[in-house]
Amino acid sequence: MFKDMIKDIVTSYGPAGRETTVSKTIRKYIEPLVDEVYYDALGNLIAHKKGTSGKKIMLSAHMDQIGFIVTDIDENGFLRVATVGGVNPHMVLSQGVVFENGVKGLVYMETKDLSYASLDISKLFIDIGAASKEEAEKLVEIGDMAVYRPDFVDMGKRISCAAMDDRIGCAVMIEAFKKANTEHDVYLVFTVQEEVGCRGAGVAAYAIEPDFNINFDVTSFGDTPNATFVNISLGKGAAIKVMDSSVIVPKAAREFLESCANEIGAKFQREILRAGGTDTSAVQKSRCGVMASCISIPCRYVHSQVEMVDMDDVNACVDITACALSRKELPGF
Amino acid sequence: MLGRLSEIYGVSGDEGRVRAFIKKELAPYADEMHTDRMGNLIVHKKGEGKKIMLDAHMDEVGLLVLGIREDGLLAITGNSMDPRVLVSKRVVVGPNLVPGVIGAKAIHLQSAADRESALKVSQLYVDIGAKDKEDAMSCVSVGDHICFTTKFSDFGEGLFKGKALDDRIGCALVMKLMMNNYDCDLYGVFTVQEEVGIRGAQAAAFSVQPDIAIAFEGTTANDIDPKCDIGHVTKVGHGPAISFMDGGNITRPQMFKALVSSAKEAGIKYQLRQGTRGRTDAGMAALAASGCFAGGISVPTRYIHSPVSIASWDDFNAAYALADHFLANKKFLEVNANV
Amino acid sequence: MNTRSVISRLVTAPGATGHEEKVGDVVLELFSGICDDVWCDKYGDIYAKIGSGEPTVLICAHLDEVSMIVTDILENGMLKICSLAGVDPRVLPGSEVVVDGKVQLKGIIGAVPPHLLTGKENAAYKIDDLTVDLGLPFEKVRELVVIGDIVRFDPIEPLELKNGRIAGKTLDDRAHVAVMIKAIEILKKRLINCTAVFCASVQEEKTGLGATLSTYNVRPDIGIAIDVTHGPTPGAGEYDCFPLDKLVLTRGSNIHPKVYKMLKKAGDDIGIPTVTEAAMGHTGTDAWSMQVTAGGCATGLISTPLKYMHTNVELLDVNTLENCAKLLAQFIANIDEDWEAQLCLDD
Repeated sequence: MFKDMIKDIVTSYGPAGRETTVSKTIRKYIEPLVDEVYYDALGNLIAHKKGTSGKKIMLSAHMDQIGFIVTDIDENGFLRVATVGGVNPHMVLSQGVVFENGVKGLVYMETKDLSYASLDISKLFIDIGAASKEEAEKLVEIGDMAVYRPDFVDMGKRISCAAMDDRIGCAVMIEAFKKANTEHDVYLVFTVQEEVGCRGAGVAAYAIEPDFNINFDVTSFGDTPNATFVNISLGKGAAIKVMDSSVIVPKAAREFLESCANEIGAKFQREILRAGGTDTSAVQKSRCGVMASCISIPCRYVHSQVEMVDMDDVNACVDITACALSRKELPGF
Repeated sequence: MLGRLSEIYGVSGDEGRVRAFIKKELAPYADEMHTDRMGNLIVHKKGEGKKIMLDAHMDEVGLLVLGIREDGLLAITGNSMDPRVLVSKRVVVGPNLVPGVIGAKAIHLQSAADRESALKVSQLYVDIGAKDKEDAMSCVSVGDHICFTTKFSDFGEGLFKGKALDDRIGCALVMKLMMNNYDCDLYGVFTVQEEVGIRGAQAAAFSVQPDIAIAFEGTTANDIDPKCDIGHVTKVGHGPAISFMDGGNITRPQMFKALVSSAKEAGIKYQLRQGTRGRTDAGMAALAASGCFAGGISVPTRYIHSPVSIASWDDFNAAYALADHFLANKKFLEVNANV
Repeated sequence: MNTRSVISRLVTAPGATGHEEKVGDVVLELFSGICDDVWCDKYGDIYAKIGSGEPTVLICAHLDEVSMIVTDILENGMLKICSLAGVDPRVLPGSEVVVDGKVQLKGIIGAVPPHLLTGKENAAYKIDDLTVDLGLPFEKVRELVVIGDIVRFDPIEPLELKNGRIAGKTLDDRAHVAVMIKAIEILKKRLINCTAVFCASVQEEKTGLGATLSTYNVRPDIGIAIDVTHGPTPGAGEYDCFPLDKLVLTRGSNIHPKVYKMLKKAGDDIGIPTVTEAAMGHTGTDAWSMQVTAGGCATGLISTPLKYMHTNVELLDVNTLENCAKLLAQFIANIDEDWEAQLCLDD
């Protein structure tokens, strides 16, 4: 069941700035569980369940994914693109992509005067099988966005698909909320445009003014052959954020999450990322400051076609969050 | 009006002269005018309905006096410019508008290696004709702004040329629009310090907190290579450019559609801004407080961020007509968050 | 209070970026000793308010120190670390540090002895090449240290050098917290016509969070950052460094032109020499966040030149700090009912 929901959400189309399709998928799951669901001007999907404690918890995960945006269509019908978010040209080379209207394409590169080492996005193009500009323009318009064509692979305990970053966070949030018994006002915010600079979350936090925020995002990995040093492994539990390049999580907040993990015996690791930022930073500096924390889901091959997570880690994240929601006392400054 | 705006000196952080001009011109039309602590000029025409913010930035690219050398030459630092455009230009320095030139080693004095390599800002200096440091210090100070002095004029066929078209074109458009009456709560926001990191718009958009913001820009037109049909971003003479995405903003689809429909309905030839690099005030407006719908309308401009740029009168007038039609039709202003 | 002893107390208190509670307590105590209206906000910014009425001036000097964080514990008990904020790994080999584990532990960041070098080691040490040695067996380390614990430079008192100069850790920017205390003391003996809020701000070395939040909280008309700039350093750019005995006032788009003039006038009024630094955009200080937050404020920046920034031998002149306090106090005391006109931008 949980896996079915993950698959449904993770395979939905939704690059940064064009999150409508994925937001509708998510809405389907969250609407029956809450009092109201609405969008804000940026497109954040906000689900609100009223509570009795007088305290507001904001859960957040970004629903956008990285992708491409068409900037030019050449006379032979090839599409030239710019990146939407952190797209690595080597990772996308020869991958399949799909547009919002279902048109499929392939990414390839200029072959003249090019070495793989100097590959950059300006040397890539998308082939949608059109033989001319006119044909291509019938299928795709300038300004349309493409994403990795989703290929959901279920390996049992581990699953893989593009856009695990951060649809898995969205799914964790929903599943945890389902399981939790909470007396607090809960806002589940599915944020937009994280991949282009953590834009949605700050706006939502400003409007909601939460007392406490738990953000959900994927984190990097260091447990593959000859990997860069990152002290995070798949299967070793939820990753509770200490810091990344954009934020230092207040000690009270991460100790609160760790105590929840210890209470229910869930495995966790401490996440220290030198590169990469997340929505937590935008929430933290909203208004007079928000007690903001982050539970990360260990994820291999981030920003590739084959992002992989471990269901044990995912379930640990769900359980820790459910426990946190059921606590009467929230971390305070 | 555009010609006068273009010739005013207004490097980032020194926008006072531009502000004074706009204030004077718009005084008869405004209900309220307010200069905030950063120097943003906020012009308000009160009305019912949606709060609309029309935005253009007043500042232009330029230089700053970094230090004064013993020999009276001025060491400089710049913003958002390719230093290769600087050599051999005329400038004015500081509040007293002291004339100067940007010098470099003459070609006869250059080695073969010199000729191959681009000059860095740290190798360039402004010469005001001072005999020595003391002489220079009698009329300029460290931190004074340095501005290009290019004259504005008509150019070629249907075009115009001048400095600071990014973004005095935007200022002129917003000024013209603010002279009209529309059925909304209308703000004309003329921002400071866009060229040093979209600074003014951050503060101004927080103060205004609009429902809809439109940034008006003179934007990149890289249409000089006839053989290349990609990567031009915009083309001069092909109409105003509507943005779907820039470095700081992805236009919400409903807002983008509203702008495109407005152009189509008014029969205006338009183009899309076919590039995603470069940030504009729109991004900061979109993120202010609890967020708003932000879009961009630009006039294609060749050679922006240099001492002289080129744009088309037809594009300029059509950009005005497009925005005017958008504002005059309430249905466009009813952009809805729910999808 | 004696500036040197205040500095000593401040720089020896723990206060890594995002972990400023302990040094915050020290500041709270110091502020409370000279001011009745003292408080702190959610993220640990410490405030002291004097005077009343308009305008409100917010002065920020930051509290946090550059430091490191434990990322892994090796099988032999050695600690792997990375920068939490602002650390140049090249200064680390041969350093004494403190690890804030369950208890405070002394550590050494070692280096390979020259006898074992092959002569090909031209590259600088990277943080991943370095480990913290606690001299303890693995089991003991496991018991006392966890991933995420803070590693700080050894909190020793500054060294007195010739000509009133001192060298030590975290003078960037706690020396200016001492300056704020001194300025409050001066102002208590004078009449002021405005509200001055002094803020020891958090997390400047990372995100400028403290300055953002304090500006949102206080909503100042004028925001002044006091921070360090570079003292004369061989090999550095001619216009990047300033003499140790002069205060530096910055001009440029991050600075309100009238606030610059008011600061300069304050210096001239009491005969304190200042020099001007030009910055086109980012000044790399709290002034950057203060300027645009919550609708924006009129910003100014006073800097004291300091050599060897972000090391544990940061060097500056105490007389210049005393001048900084005097200039700041004079600036605040100069504000009168005409302030709005004085701040009005020239059009």
